[in-house]
Amino acid sequence: MRRGCWPSAPSAERKATTVKLPAFLRLSPEVTPYVLMSPFVVLFFVFGMFPLLFSLYLAFQTWEPTSGLSAMRFVGLDNFAFALEDEWFWKSLKNTAWLAVASGVPQHLVAIPLAVFIHTSFKRMRNAVVGAYFLPYITSTVAIAIMFSSLFSTDYGVVNTALHALFGGENIDWLGKPENIKPAIAMIVFWRYVGFNVVLYLAALQTIPKDLYEAATMDGAGRLQQFFYITLPSLKPMIFFGVTLSIIGGLQLFEEPFILTGGRGGSDQSGMTTAIYLYRMAFDFNDFGAASAMSWLLFFLVVLLTWLTNRAFKPRNGGG
Amino acid sequence: MNSDRRAPLAAYVIVGIGSLIMLAPFYFMFVFATQSRTEIFSLPPPNWFGNDFCDNLKILTERIPFWRNLGWSLYVAVANTALTLLFCSMGGYAFGCFEFRFKNGFFAFVMATMLLPSFMNMIPTFMIMDVLGWIDQPRALYIPGAASAFGIFLMRQFVTTSIPKDLIEAARMDGCSELGIYWRIVLPLLKPALGTLGLITFIASWNNFIGPLIVMRSPENYTLPLALRSLQSPVDTEWGALMTGSAIATIPLLVLFALSSRQLISGLTAGAVK
Amino acid sequence: MVQQAGGRRWYGGAWARPALALAVCALLPGAASAQQLTVAAYPAVDKIVEAAIPAWKKLHPNVGIKVVSRQFVDHHTAMTTALSTRFYLPDVMALEVGYVGRFAQGGGLEDLRKPPFDIGSVQAQFVPYAVAQATSRTGAIVAVPADIGPGTLLVRTDVLAKAGVSESELTKSWEGYVASGVKIKRTTGAYLMAHARDIKNILIRIGIQPGEGLYFGKDGEVLVTSPRFVRAFELAREVRRNKLDAKVSEWSNEWSEGFKRGTLATQLTGAWLAGHLNNWLAPDTRGKWRALQLPEGAFAAYGGTFFAIARGAPAANKALAWEFIKLLTLDRELQLQAFKSQDAFPALLSTYGDPFFEQPIAFLGGQAARVQWREATRHTVAVSVHKQDAFALEVIDTELDKVLDQGKDIRTALADAARLLAKRAQR
Repeated sequence: MRRGCWPSAPSAERKATTVKLPAFLRLSPEVTPYVLMSPFVVLFFVFGMFPLLFSLYLAFQTWEPTSGLSAMRFVGLDNFAFALEDEWFWKSLKNTAWLAVASGVPQHLVAIPLAVFIHTSFKRMRNAVVGAYFLPYITSTVAIAIMFSSLFSTDYGVVNTALHALFGGENIDWLGKPENIKPAIAMIVFWRYVGFNVVLYLAALQTIPKDLYEAATMDGAGRLQQFFYITLPSLKPMIFFGVTLSIIGGLQLFEEPFILTGGRGGSDQSGMTTAIYLYRMAFDFNDFGAASAMSWLLFFLVVLLTWLTNRAFKPRNGGG
Repeated sequence: MNSDRRAPLAAYVIVGIGSLIMLAPFYFMFVFATQSRTEIFSLPPPNWFGNDFCDNLKILTERIPFWRNLGWSLYVAVANTALTLLFCSMGGYAFGCFEFRFKNGFFAFVMATMLLPSFMNMIPTFMIMDVLGWIDQPRALYIPGAASAFGIFLMRQFVTTSIPKDLIEAARMDGCSELGIYWRIVLPLLKPALGTLGLITFIASWNNFIGPLIVMRSPENYTLPLALRSLQSPVDTEWGALMTGSAIATIPLLVLFALSSRQLISGLTAGAVK
Repeated sequence: MVQQAGGRRWYGGAWARPALALAVCALLPGAASAQQLTVAAYPAVDKIVEAAIPAWKKLHPNVGIKVVSRQFVDHHTAMTTALSTRFYLPDVMALEVGYVGRFAQGGGLEDLRKPPFDIGSVQAQFVPYAVAQATSRTGAIVAVPADIGPGTLLVRTDVLAKAGVSESELTKSWEGYVASGVKIKRTTGAYLMAHARDIKNILIRIGIQPGEGLYFGKDGEVLVTSPRFVRAFELAREVRRNKLDAKVSEWSNEWSEGFKRGTLATQLTGAWLAGHLNNWLAPDTRGKWRALQLPEGAFAAYGGTFFAIARGAPAANKALAWEFIKLLTLDRELQLQAFKSQDAFPALLSTYGDPFFEQPIAFLGGQAARVQWREATRHTVAVSVHKQDAFALEVIDTELDKVLDQGKDIRTALADAARLLAKRAQR
């Protein structure tokens, strides 16, 4: 978002040192971006490219890993054909889509108003409240696995106890029945990431100038109007960012279903996301070629969806 | 925002209850850390603290070099965070404020790597580490992660929304060098983003176990998640010790969060003077 | 930790100590000059290996043993990774029975029949079915059995007594087992088993022809529509219809609580579970249990540990690695020690005469159950392994769930499973 013309006011953070760089280190604006990008690019090409290419190559081979690298055999598009005909692959895509939406949408629907509320209404308790919501993000998967199996336990788990106290009725068998596993996973994902999104939105809220709101109040706009006409539009870039992350994260959902179903995907594979299926194909069923092919199919799907999101949310300033 | 009109009490109550729900599993983690595994595995699970903490700690430190692993986790996380903040802020600034060849293509490419599941990279990463001779060394954990696609994405977002181009132009006209602009003007303005990215990177590095699983060959060099997982046997896990270890492992993150949230808030005074 | 004088002078950071410690450790004598064997394992095998180190030192004082232990699944993932690239393979690799089959087909492990290993000369000292489990399709023996898991039926004597069910009634036949379960449920309210899946898992193992695998035949044909699967499914359905299973999965809170409260009357499991029940799962129920042979004279194996040498492991160490494996698996004292401390039932036949087997087990009400388990090992038969076995297990479990929960017809379920498996049998 282009701002008005701001003079370069000396800010308190400006370092006192006024050491001038030697002439050869003074970069021209044309060369600067390349210099700035270089560490990132180097690391990326070394550690990001090779696995990418390896995985692409592997998608066209059949490979049982424990036989060693030389055991790869070229099979052309066979892996892709297999994946597209595989019932479990399609089942995993459906599961993934359901989970991505069911866990992703509430995250943002809750995180935005919550961030706004915290931003405006909590002064001293702000850190504590944000901290409470952010804590789940910090917890390691090992701890989560044990705790949630205990919390979702059918007869004595806290979840069922609370639901029973509020709504009565039978205890829900969360982990045993296929239709219940997905909501359980969605709840855990929501629990884990809503605070993360609150932090992102809070950081973005802090960049909205206060004068905009003051001017609006003087014009007689109510809180709700201010929210819809000032806050939301200003948050658009961050919403775009957050939603993109949620889509990518949702489509790659692995950890939470993995730990809740013990790595299997649960009864009737209802908790088996595509990422988990990939993992099982590679390390349980030892079919690396098919796993690579499936990961590329998933990749294309995610690219497609990200591109669509981009179109929907494109920041109107034209990006950077 | 008008701070003289308070929000309805109901809103506070809902948010409060929400916080409690968020905290509940955490609370149970600390409760379980003080119970023996027999009690953890019973129904109903324990609600209040027990007195097995010391026993659990003893088992924990006997089975794995816990404090050493904690030290490694700290070292790797700090180094990773520092490098990531540096490289991603440089890269994000470049993407956000400059034009250069292959800019969009490269960005799309980097985003693309975010879309492949990380465990698919295990074997090729293992091969690279072997070629570089980095197996069983912490640098294999903190250097590759510095080229974080998420990091550069976040930085670019912040740069495009928070860095006024005119400010940079003015600094150039004042005779500030390019790198000086980066260091003295852009970085301070990015403080909230740096705080956020730093926190997230630290947490990700702290909780990462796939990286160490591929690269570490000696239990003394494990980081915490891997070390704690190695307590798990198919049938004979010391759950109490495991929970104790997990609870202790969470404390540095809590401390970091407490510290950085203040930074996030104070960062706003730099960013909001507009 | 190692002292490092002047370390802080250079870096002064939090990473000075670990970095320097690492550097110094790499230079310490014993790491570089003498030889060292790396053994990769998982809990509790790591303890068994560590317990063998003193004996090893007596034989080879200059060769150190380094044990690298990871979580069970992590370990096998790391081994898969190492085998795939042939880098950084440990000298000795511990493998659990579920993975031995897979790795055996892969060809990444040494064929121990060949020199200098020559397992043929000592093969007869092990329980035959354990060796068969480590034999690949081509006849290569890729691993040495260290411990095995004879299957057993653990029963609550107090619950049985209350229900008026005798042991012979329970174990005469599988149908009798289920019928006893009905009686137990009616009189005491206790469940017969944790999950109907448990009975399916045993029943599909009965009636396997030699050369056949569990789900696939010798030439990869799918066997899941055969009578043993039908019977397994029918009895599982019977169990569920009569509400005889608690629908709890193993290692969940409900499962362990079932033992504590006596709501689970029996458990089909490996012999080692008795030790865990005694130690921490349900220590207060000591004395209320007994171990029986599986009903209808069935015998099954539940678990087992093997040691293997990878083809790509450092060649200079292979001879010594073999010596260490022989020590772990052929030394009578070490095998018995592992048995006593870790409940690792020995695969070494020469231990079977030891008086330890006749000792009464307090948890089982003084029963000398080890004798019975020893007997079971004589009759257990190894099952041939196919690459898609893990997948097949999932598919069958899914179909079973549909039969149990949704009332799907058994023949249709098995036909659906067969269809899915046929597609992958040749991959």
